[in-house]
Amino acid sequence: MMFNPQVIIEKLPELGSGLFVTLLLWIAGIAGGVVIGFLVATARRFGGFATNAVLGSVVEVLRGTPFLIQIFLLYYGGPFVGLMLDPIPCGLIGLTVYSAAYYSEIFRAGFAAVPVGHVEAAGCLGMTRLQTIRRIQIPEMALIVLPPAVNLSVILLKESAVLSIITVPELTATVSAIGSQQYAYLEAIFILAVVYWALVELTDRLGRAAEHRLSRLRFLKA
Amino acid sequence: MTFKLFTLLLQAAVSTIGISLVSIAIGFVIAILLSAATLSGKTIYSAPARLFVSFFRGVPLLVQLLLIYTLLPAIGLNVPSIVAAIIGLSLCTAAYQAENLRGGFSSVPKGLIEAAEVTGFNPVQIFSRIQVPIALRLTLPTLVNESIMILKASSLVSVVGIIELTKMAQDLASSTYQPIPIFLSAGLVYFVICSTIALLGRYAERSMARTSA
Amino acid sequence: MTLPAITIRNLVKRFGETTVLQDINLEIPEGKVSCLIGPSGSGKSTLLRCLAFLEESTSGMITINGEALGFFEKPDGKRERLPPAQIRTVRAQTGMVFQQFNLWPHMTALGNVSEALKIVRKLSKADAEEKAMAQLRKVGLENRAGHYPSQLSGGQQQRVAIARALALEPKIMLFDEATSALDPELTGEVLKVMRDLADEGMTMVVVTHEIGFAATVGQQISFLDHGKLLFSGPPSEVFAKPRHPRLDQFLDTYLDRGASMLI
Repeated sequence: MMFNPQVIIEKLPELGSGLFVTLLLWIAGIAGGVVIGFLVATARRFGGFATNAVLGSVVEVLRGTPFLIQIFLLYYGGPFVGLMLDPIPCGLIGLTVYSAAYYSEIFRAGFAAVPVGHVEAAGCLGMTRLQTIRRIQIPEMALIVLPPAVNLSVILLKESAVLSIITVPELTATVSAIGSQQYAYLEAIFILAVVYWALVELTDRLGRAAEHRLSRLRFLKA
Repeated sequence: MTFKLFTLLLQAAVSTIGISLVSIAIGFVIAILLSAATLSGKTIYSAPARLFVSFFRGVPLLVQLLLIYTLLPAIGLNVPSIVAAIIGLSLCTAAYQAENLRGGFSSVPKGLIEAAEVTGFNPVQIFSRIQVPIALRLTLPTLVNESIMILKASSLVSVVGIIELTKMAQDLASSTYQPIPIFLSAGLVYFVICSTIALLGRYAERSMARTSA
Repeated sequence: MTLPAITIRNLVKRFGETTVLQDINLEIPEGKVSCLIGPSGSGKSTLLRCLAFLEESTSGMITINGEALGFFEKPDGKRERLPPAQIRTVRAQTGMVFQQFNLWPHMTALGNVSEALKIVRKLSKADAEEKAMAQLRKVGLENRAGHYPSQLSGGQQQRVAIARALALEPKIMLFDEATSALDPELTGEVLKVMRDLADEGMTMVVVTHEIGFAATVGQQISFLDHGKLLFSGPPSEVFAKPRHPRLDQFLDTYLDRGASMLI
């Protein structure tokens, strides 16, 4: 096995670009997933039976099928319905939709965890539904949904590696390419693994710190 | 979407289920060993165990598979692709199952362990006859969840050329130029399998709830 | 003879197959304390929750100070659902205190009491907090204004909950077993606040197990059993001369446990 630090320095721009794409897709996937997921959870809770059933089925299918199949469908099947997507936009849409499905379940559980009496009290005091969601339900949900939300964002980081299969130039694709070019594939993959590991550990720690701070501020043990 | 193509997908699905089952089973055994190491209290056992769990939960499965697939030949183990794939999946699920079991083990009431100690059980017996059964009952839902995860994750072994459901779908899609019906069908098959596991899991939970306190 | 604060007419509430309230007819007098008593499952809480519009009745009508709540019964017998804004206006005349307090854990006592003033009445933060402090003073908790619910005892939390409901100046206060979730030593402080409110002439509807409170503070006692209103009248009639065998049975369990003040 050969290990040549010189190579890393030469290839730094490419590596940087690969890492950038991974982080971009990851953050965008989380942001889009959280927003859409929250809207879906709200629509399911307040939208009536039909809305709940339809959205619920879509969520179940997205959670019950492999991410790779969803991506293949989007990337290879898209052109047949007029959707010619480049790898990066395709990856972005695929990851966001996938993440939204999972986030919606987290928010659904969050809504259910807010004691119904707190919502009733708001209603008795004359608050509208929107006011109750904003001022009562979201703050109370915040601490409850944080751990699973952090967990999910870690999962999404790992799933983003799958996008290399449809030639998205993210970290895994970039490192594997460099590795095989340099006849040092094994070392490259190993370093790749360590990089992801570090990112995951970092996110976990940040998440725990955020939970800790949030619980001190909120006194939610009442 | 002809019947013939669909049967091909179903045959490949059998492969998917087989690979997943074997990986879950091997992963379970490894997870129990990892749990034993962590609970032993001796750093020399628990530290590597925790490192293992941290690594295999922190690295994407795809990268793990690529790593195992290139590592094994490099250290002289020229095994068939499918063996490499199963090893990769097993190590991954072992880490997740160990993490799930950790929660289960910490929920075993201390009093039950103390009762066993004073009755004269040695640590191995306490582990196997008290802690493991109770932790398992407590974590059954997460085990069911993990099985569903592995089933979906097995789609990644397609990248190392194993013929399972996803690879079959890829091949069929490119040869018939009909990606949409084929990938939709593959998705449907995955969905049905996962839903069945979920249903069986709920059934198992309920019958277990009936027999235990 | 003033108009009754609340009129309940032919009220029925069904949950699926089960009928929880059967044809309730009752008038709640203004400025008086009206108590709903009865065994568990008698429907008294459900009746109160219908008055707060937390449950929607299956049929019948409720009027609050002359205005229909939630549903308007037309002469031909059909029920029409009123628009949400109108429902909110009518609901604003009642304040509700819950058995489980239901204080919002992410706000201080002051925050809890002032929230609706800010959001619903659209007062400025300063005005809202001033009014809120006045209410906290009234229930004796101005020193705890900056505390979170988790830092307060059960009795204190319930008093904050009462202040929160009073802040919106409702004409009628509804109490749903306000002391049932409290340790015995803490019920006293809450009952005192309720007594003071009654002395000020607030119209109160109180669902309670505290028969002593009902006997001494209540001015109209209504006895419910299995969803039916079996008896309603002043304490002297209810407690001195029990009128219904079920009521006798019910009160006996209290007499057995030493509530001899009733005799």
